[in-house]
Amino acid sequence: MTMQFSLKRIINSVYRDVTVLRGSIVTGLSIAAGILFIAFLLNLGFGDHSITAEDYAGTSGLLYVLFGVLFTFSIFKEVHDQKKNHLYLTLPISPVERVIAVWITTYILYTVAFTILGVLIGQMAIIFGSLFSKVNLHFISIFSEEYWKMITFYLFVQPVFFYGAIRFGKNRMGKTVLSLLLVFLGILFYNFLIYGMLNHDFDVFSGEQLASEAFNLAKKDFSITGRWLFMIILGPAMFLAGYFRMIEKEV
Amino acid sequence: MITLNNLKFYFPKGKRVFDDVTLSFVAGNIYGLFGKNGEGKSTLMRIMSGLLFPKSGQCRVFDEDISKRTVSCLQNVFIVPEEFELNGLKITTYEQVNSVFYPKFSKDQFYELIAEFELSKDQKISTLSFGQKKKVLIAFGIATNTKLLLMDEPTNGLDIPSKSQFRKIMASVADEQRCIVISTHQVRDLHSLINHVVILNQCNIAFDYSLSKVSNHLWFGKPTQGPQESIIYAEPSFTGKSVLIREDREESEVDLELLFNAVLNNSDAINNVLKNTYHDHAV
Repeated sequence: MTMQFSLKRIINSVYRDVTVLRGSIVTGLSIAAGILFIAFLLNLGFGDHSITAEDYAGTSGLLYVLFGVLFTFSIFKEVHDQKKNHLYLTLPISPVERVIAVWITTYILYTVAFTILGVLIGQMAIIFGSLFSKVNLHFISIFSEEYWKMITFYLFVQPVFFYGAIRFGKNRMGKTVLSLLLVFLGILFYNFLIYGMLNHDFDVFSGEQLASEAFNLAKKDFSITGRWLFMIILGPAMFLAGYFRMIEKEV
Repeated sequence: MITLNNLKFYFPKGKRVFDDVTLSFVAGNIYGLFGKNGEGKSTLMRIMSGLLFPKSGQCRVFDEDISKRTVSCLQNVFIVPEEFELNGLKITTYEQVNSVFYPKFSKDQFYELIAEFELSKDQKISTLSFGQKKKVLIAFGIATNTKLLLMDEPTNGLDIPSKSQFRKIMASVADEQRCIVISTHQVRDLHSLINHVVILNQCNIAFDYSLSKVSNHLWFGKPTQGPQESIIYAEPSFTGKSVLIREDREESEVDLELLFNAVLNNSDAINNVLKNTYHDHAV
């Protein structure tokens, strides 16, 4: 019996996804390049005439996440296309291989491609700026704490969009964002309820110093715990849910 | 090889499609799957390729439950759906990115078929007509060399010369290792190609016999002599074509359309005749 896991099939699947989406990838990266170029020029013009590693992360961060989410949704377009999904689902690739291949494409390859694009466009903006304004010619630097935060943040949020992309057939992005908002509001309400139930005797709702300190403390403590919980449980859980969705998918 | 055991299927909030269907397909045959519109031909194809899951019962393809869509099982199944869209790549690129998943894929065979269908390997699929895209997919499906090849209305969208070309190609690729199932309601397109007929009617299998058995037991044509009781079905038309018990008549060419109508009209009568083994032994 053929193995359900093969590295070769994963590589072939990544190659297939990238080839099939070549047009969308080129268009997306071209748009991102245009926006980044203008943003870097504005940064050079209004800032200290240089692009620091922090500037790079600040300028490209939002675009990186936004285009990453769009790419994650586009990679599952074939699954929801009624005229294409027969051929997609009958390709001899196991669901585990598909999930891994999609993650490699939409996270690792995308991050590398976007970073290289950002460096090239940033450097072009510096050269352009040095020719036409007071900008000093320098090499762009990208690796800062903000850059790694941006990559880590996308690592956390991407699985949610991965699941949304495979779960919903129509208005996928809207439904995913709405679901995310509902979950967020639910957790917020739940936290508030628990916090209120446990602390109402301590006058922490009076707006006094104690209340804000308590909130700050709770926020600080919870953010680290929550982040780890998200990383260890929710992220893989979303991939697992996506895996089962792929197994159960009928067309 | 492919067995459907007590298979039941219905769509949510929809009518029942299959009610306790048991059927098997054996390698070395080209099956013609017929039925009226909405009788479940495409649904059966989808179940056999693992795209739909039976509500109860099982569909086993090469001793594996196809609904599990395991790699080993999918490597032996290819489906050419009735309606489809291919990614807008060059034919060569399409072959490169998809063929790697099929271990028995033959590049030479694929490009030979592409040439036979009068297509160029450098053509972009998005610029092709639906019929030409169908030819690309048929060529790809054949070249995968899967043990089970499912084709849902393969001649839809093909022009008249291409239909005969299709029959010629299909006849040449059929072998003892391969099972081909072709679903269609255009029975004339498959004339002289299939060697086994399966007819679906009212959520079940109304007919499942080889054409050799049909021609051994039944006679198709305009009766000129013989007792009237040997007529199983007569077309109420000007031509007066009928299906008769063959008895001692010369063997006739099987008229698939007439057989189909006869089965829908009175499947019990036809099936009772075919259960008789007199001619199987005598001929």
